[in-house]
Amino acid sequence: MSWIVRMIVVLPALAALIGLLARRRRAVAAGVAVSVSAYVAVLGLIQWVAPSRSADIDTIGGLPLGDLSVPLHLLSDRVSGLVSFVVALVVLGIQVFTVWYLRDDARYGQFAATVSLFATGMLLLVQSGDLVLMLVGWEIMGWCSWLLIGHDSERAAARRAAYKAFLVTRVADIGMVVGIVALSVRARSTDLMAVLTATGDGTLLTVGLVGVVIGVAGKSGLVPFHDWLPDAMEGPTPASALIHAATMVAAGTYVIARLFTLYAENDTARTLLAVLAAVTMVYAALLALAQTDLKRMLAYSTLSQIAIMLSALAAAPAELGPGAGISHLLGHAFFKALLFLGAGWLSVLAGGTAIVALRGRLRPTGALRWSMGIGLAALAGVPPLVGFFTKDTVIDAALEGATGGGGLRAWLVVVALFVTVVLTAAYCTRAWLLLDTPVAATGELPDTAPAVVAEEDVAVVTTADSADDAEVERVHAHGHATITLSAALVVSVLAALTVVGTLFLASLRGGVHVGLLSALLSLLLLAGGAYAVWFLSDRGRVDVAERIPGRVREPAVRGFGVDTAYVAVGRAVTTVARLVVALDRDVVDAYPRGTAVVARAAGRAGERGHRGVPSLSLLSLLVGVVLVAVLGVTAWR
Amino acid sequence: MIHLSLPAALAALLAGLGVYGVLARRNAVLVLIGVELILNAANLLLVTAGSRPGAPLSAGPVITLFVITIAAAEITVALAIILVMFRRTGHIDLTAVPDLSDEPEPAGEGAP
Amino acid sequence: MTTRDIVFVAVGAVTALSALLSVTTKHVVHAALWLLVSLGSLAGAYLVLGQELVGLVQLLVYVGAIVVLVLFALMLTRAPIGPHAEIDTPRWQRVAGAVLGGATTALLASLLLPLFAGATADLDRPSTTTPQIAQAIFGTWVWPFELLSVLLLVALVGAFAVSRIVLQRDGADRHDADHPDHPDHHDSHDDGDRTAATTAVTSEPGTGRVG
Repeated sequence: MSWIVRMIVVLPALAALIGLLARRRRAVAAGVAVSVSAYVAVLGLIQWVAPSRSADIDTIGGLPLGDLSVPLHLLSDRVSGLVSFVVALVVLGIQVFTVWYLRDDARYGQFAATVSLFATGMLLLVQSGDLVLMLVGWEIMGWCSWLLIGHDSERAAARRAAYKAFLVTRVADIGMVVGIVALSVRARSTDLMAVLTATGDGTLLTVGLVGVVIGVAGKSGLVPFHDWLPDAMEGPTPASALIHAATMVAAGTYVIARLFTLYAENDTARTLLAVLAAVTMVYAALLALAQTDLKRMLAYSTLSQIAIMLSALAAAPAELGPGAGISHLLGHAFFKALLFLGAGWLSVLAGGTAIVALRGRLRPTGALRWSMGIGLAALAGVPPLVGFFTKDTVIDAALEGATGGGGLRAWLVVVALFVTVVLTAAYCTRAWLLLDTPVAATGELPDTAPAVVAEEDVAVVTTADSADDAEVERVHAHGHATITLSAALVVSVLAALTVVGTLFLASLRGGVHVGLLSALLSLLLLAGGAYAVWFLSDRGRVDVAERIPGRVREPAVRGFGVDTAYVAVGRAVTTVARLVVALDRDVVDAYPRGTAVVARAAGRAGERGHRGVPSLSLLSLLVGVVLVAVLGVTAWR
Repeated sequence: MIHLSLPAALAALLAGLGVYGVLARRNAVLVLIGVELILNAANLLLVTAGSRPGAPLSAGPVITLFVITIAAAEITVALAIILVMFRRTGHIDLTAVPDLSDEPEPAGEGAP
Repeated sequence: MTTRDIVFVAVGAVTALSALLSVTTKHVVHAALWLLVSLGSLAGAYLVLGQELVGLVQLLVYVGAIVVLVLFALMLTRAPIGPHAEIDTPRWQRVAGAVLGGATTALLASLLLPLFAGATADLDRPSTTTPQIAQAIFGTWVWPFELLSVLLLVALVGAFAVSRIVLQRDGADRHDADHPDHPDHHDSHDDGDRTAATTAVTSEPGTGRVG
């Protein structure tokens, strides 16, 4: 068993290495990437189906760090088996889809290798039983996200988005590192089991848990750090699917789920998490409603859904465990991968991801139409799709937490969840109506899309229409390629998984737990939200977002200038750093350097005074000699 | 019988004239003449001192001979340097501002 | 005042006067010639003081060799014939030189005259004769004497090396044979510069001039 766990981590890394070496040979690169992903998925399946709980699988041996024990063990149980299976499955689907999607990209090899490395990071994080290994996986993903988002590196917007993602998550990672250090110091070990069972300093525990929440907020895009995620749409669509579906942004949920028993006892960290999650899920859902770009809409929906997962961990009662969060993570992985790959397919057909370009393009596409429909319905939470079950499991867990003494925190989460249900239904309905209603039915062609022009240097990326540049270029260059069977199959399989994925979750403790009343309530809210949009949009003939006043909508599309705020923070930090440097250089260093300056000035002055005229030198010499002689004679006398 | 204050006074006079000669001439060879005068003043002083009754080890005349030898060596090297200077710069004017840079200076400048 | 005193005053006056002329004359060559007179009469002064050997060596080495070397150097550096105002430094510097020279004389005189006041030498029974000097040189002073021979050798080699090294660096620095500052061009009219030019030719085969 243990070698399977090790292989799950090592094989993608090897695939990345081989893929990088063979990047010029497209067939080899694709073959390695796909076959290794498939093999890892099979291994994940075995680990899930035949789990044997073992917490001390050796990797490279413990690090000799004196008092601190760093065993670097892997941990295998049913949860890690299931999550790694789903991750491997999604990675496999994305690899297969990428072969088609990047068929004309000269740097396909690098991309596939990076995806493999990214999978390594996520699988290492999932399998790790050690905080250090978790951090390693976490950082591998951070770096790979920079590579993937910046894949179209000849475009300034993609480069900027990549740096933005990297820097924002990096800032939040400070919290993650501090948290991990605090937890390790408290337990005198980085082993997960030791950390979970350690008893000791409550302050250290709080610092550690809050730090981890901040780190998670960065990678998962909770509110102060959320703005990098929509910009990350600059990456190719498979990269977006990878980052959004099962890996990077969901990794935070998994980390907190692993540490759940500690969180269950610590109100400070959980309250922080609950507030961040509640704010994020409502705010992101509202912004999703206003977006003019399909991929950015999906990005904001991801923010909202991740917040839902985390809210389950923030509000669920201790005895229920982290099952609800993990379950929504898995369900979300299926339908979000489906939606992103479907959006990528659609963008190739339509030549862009702007909703204006996509209007009505879904109707004649057959299988794609079904798949996108299933994905949007699952996102909204329509039974019997996986989204319904997982979301209502979360709601139920939060309700239990609220009624079971969770207090204000749990009620906040519950209210936010119900509001989000309405909003999610609304933006899913809007997207469906816009994509599916034939353009002819809408009468005149829409010239009503808000023309968001990038007039500031900081807002270049945040304009809604920039995300589809790469697709447009690709389509213009190569025409509307018909999809290959395998890529279409991936989308269909993901759609099927979205329908039957609930069966996977049944094996998870607390994975599917739907309360009758809460389910009924959320269904009513869902129907209400959907109907409202359907009604307001005149049965799909009008974009419902048009009814939002322009002075609200345009900033909303741009994310309310959060990007500017980031830049301002960056500038402020740079200014402070410059100030410190200036203080150091011009005040502290001034004295030691002053001596050098004075010596040099004296040398210059001497040089200027002495022009090297021999006659004058002789004169000076003799004057000196005579003076010395006079002195000597006087003294002698 | 001879009063030794006379050669001593002559030595002081020759040294003063030598110093003046060193400072009053700009031609390097003529400066050397001044230097020779100073040397001869020293020689005369040595001989004078050696002529005092009871001077030990015949030091006066012997060291005078040595100084003459040293003067010969000195003038050889000094004249060699002066010749090289003349070849490089075209003059032996000690009041000229020398070109301290590495580039060769233009011809004819400051040549006597 | 003895006879010797009077003779010494006469010889010393010639010495001092010719020395003064040699540092003040406007003729470059005259300066060397007046030096000749001065050094010769100084040899006379040595004779008056009873040091025949020193006087003869003075004549041989100074008058016979060093002054001749100086004259050669003047010729090689194209010393102008006739009076030349340009051989002296600016007036202020000459005044400073006179002051310094006077100061030197005053200093020395103020030191030496008290020292030698009243001292006399009985030259009829000289304290040091030539055989004594010879014995002292090859007895007491033999090591300094040998050291001096080494010094002479070093000076010989040094004088040769100075001109040679600088010439070689000239050749390395200046690859263009027709550089305006090249010594060959400078000296091409001058008879006295033959030796220097020949040295240059031997060390710089590529730039030799057809004489």
